[in-house]
Amino acid sequence: MIRRWLAGPDRLVPAVSLLVVLIAFACSPLVSGKRLEPFDVYNTLQGFAQLGLLALAIGITMIAGEFDLSVVGTYALGGMLAVETGARSPLLGVAIAVAAGAAVGATQGWLIARLRIPSMPVTLATYIALLGLTYTLSGGLSKTYTNSDATLWVDQTIGEIFSPRSLVTLAAFALAAIVLGYTKLGRELRAIGSDRRASRVAGVNVDRRIVGLFAFSGIVAALGGALLSYSYASANPDPGLQPLILASVAALLGGVSLAGGRGAPLGLLAGTVSVAMLAQIVAITAMPDYTTQLLYATLLAIIVAIESPGLRDLADRLRARRAPGRHVTP
Amino acid sequence: VATASRRSPAVAGDGPASPGRLSGPFALGLAVALLLFGALAVTTPRLLTFDNARAILASAALVGITAVGATLVMIAGSGVSLAASQTATVVAMFFLATQQWGLWVAVPVALGSGIVLTALQGAVVGFWNANPIVLTIGTGFAIGGVTTWFSGGTPVYPEAHPYVVLNSTPLGLPLAVYVLLAAAVFAQWLLRRTTAGRQMYLVGENRGAARAAGLPVGRVTVIAWAFFGACIALTGIFLASFNTQATATLGGTLSLDAIAAVLVGGTLITGGRGSAAQTLGGAVLIALISDVLLLRGFSTGAQMLVKGILVLAVVVGVHLRTTRVLR
Repeated sequence: MIRRWLAGPDRLVPAVSLLVVLIAFACSPLVSGKRLEPFDVYNTLQGFAQLGLLALAIGITMIAGEFDLSVVGTYALGGMLAVETGARSPLLGVAIAVAAGAAVGATQGWLIARLRIPSMPVTLATYIALLGLTYTLSGGLSKTYTNSDATLWVDQTIGEIFSPRSLVTLAAFALAAIVLGYTKLGRELRAIGSDRRASRVAGVNVDRRIVGLFAFSGIVAALGGALLSYSYASANPDPGLQPLILASVAALLGGVSLAGGRGAPLGLLAGTVSVAMLAQIVAITAMPDYTTQLLYATLLAIIVAIESPGLRDLADRLRARRAPGRHVTP
Repeated sequence: VATASRRSPAVAGDGPASPGRLSGPFALGLAVALLLFGALAVTTPRLLTFDNARAILASAALVGITAVGATLVMIAGSGVSLAASQTATVVAMFFLATQQWGLWVAVPVALGSGIVLTALQGAVVGFWNANPIVLTIGTGFAIGGVTTWFSGGTPVYPEAHPYVVLNSTPLGLPLAVYVLLAAAVFAQWLLRRTTAGRQMYLVGENRGAARAAGLPVGRVTVIAWAFFGACIALTGIFLASFNTQATATLGGTLSLDAIAAVLVGGTLITGGRGSAAQTLGGAVLIALISDVLLLRGFSTGAQMLVKGILVLAVVVGVHLRTTRVLR
């Protein structure tokens, strides 16, 4: 039964990666010589909070066969807007950031759905433009967030391992999982991702779903940016490409495929926790920084190998040659 | 089909089939934007001077060379590579680390490493049909990680300085500008006059059909990526010569800048359409607009904002034209 549940890569990849990383985390005291403290788990969850909303934003567009590069732009813009408008009322800052994210996302979604353009060039252009806008807002400098109460509040420990920031991130994943799991939206997104024309014919309102999807992606990314700026007590106009790349790695480890049509929020959650925990293991065991890069490279190489149709064919052919007479379905 | 790519990219279509009611306002908006920009350009002091033209070409050169290579990869249907920055960085390190043996060793080592690293990725994409984005993110990590491992995170300094020759400016233009032009001419020749080049369009247009027709899909893809690797290596060499040292972040945002230039040139992201000459135009156009905004005293942020909007406008315009032709 477990075998059947794990049959598809959308469950196998996140389950295996989470298991491997959890075992490595549990074994890390053997290398570091120190016991694991609740503080280590708290740190892992803080890393998860920093990456999670971005991974959710990009992963959920990947399920529908799109690739939203602009999430880092929205992330930067959201962080800057929250800092500039939320000094007195942090909630107002978050609201403005989220509204901007929704507007940016919906506009992109409309362009992509209405004109049927591939999302990658559109969101790349938006990414550049949004970084430009964020630079313009801040004059190219980091902006300090003066409301220290909010900074203390978002990172306070709750039950030793949680913080409001990681709880909000977990809640966003839970919400996405419930909505996609218990309504037909989840199936519709996967249908849009695997065969857009067929899902249109089957009566899915594809255009509206895509606009909603990108609006959601924008909202989540802007929320992530706002929470991060509150936590750092400053907003950086250029977060660089690293967050985008890490979020993509998290989504891919979460069992989502770039071809679309596959994946679920819980897989994304497992993938993101894996990436965050990996970074924490490297920190605990004081391995050099490049180890993380090499680990990510190895993980992506495995994903490439699992995903590439050519390699799968090759493996099938080899298996067929070894076992003559047995029929092998490609 | 490939001949259709000769059209100028920046002009918006005026009557595509499906989104018909959009194109009117879009063409109008683009015309207004072009007029505004023209007025801004003409009234900008010092824009139309030789010195400034030189500055524009010089700033287009480094990204332009990589973008010319990226054009072939995009035409052949492999999409984009997100590992160009890291590859350029590692090539720059090899180039500076081998300076004591002279340029006759350093340049081939640099070109060779760029070609091998990139062609290997091309082989995985071409023969095994791997997803180029996942693959190049992975190789980016691998190259970056190994680079930091061996360099110990410290900058690489050259032991001798034969590379200063590459910073010379014959006839007042940086050497990199000549290399950019040569790369664009060579790429254009490759695309138009060689079998492999013609096959790149066919593979990019429809991979399955190309394979069914017996075209060497894998080999064509590898050739496109190998040329891309050579272009990245050239960029890396000039980056190294210009900075006289190589740090882990030398490549900067090269990957995305190159993609932006290719897209502004009007090459189709899904493949099968585009040209190296258009990419050259795209790179120069981006440099020109940044230059005008700079002379006008706009901030870096405003330059990036306009660049993003320009990429978006061209992508939408090219897409509308293409769909009109195809439907």
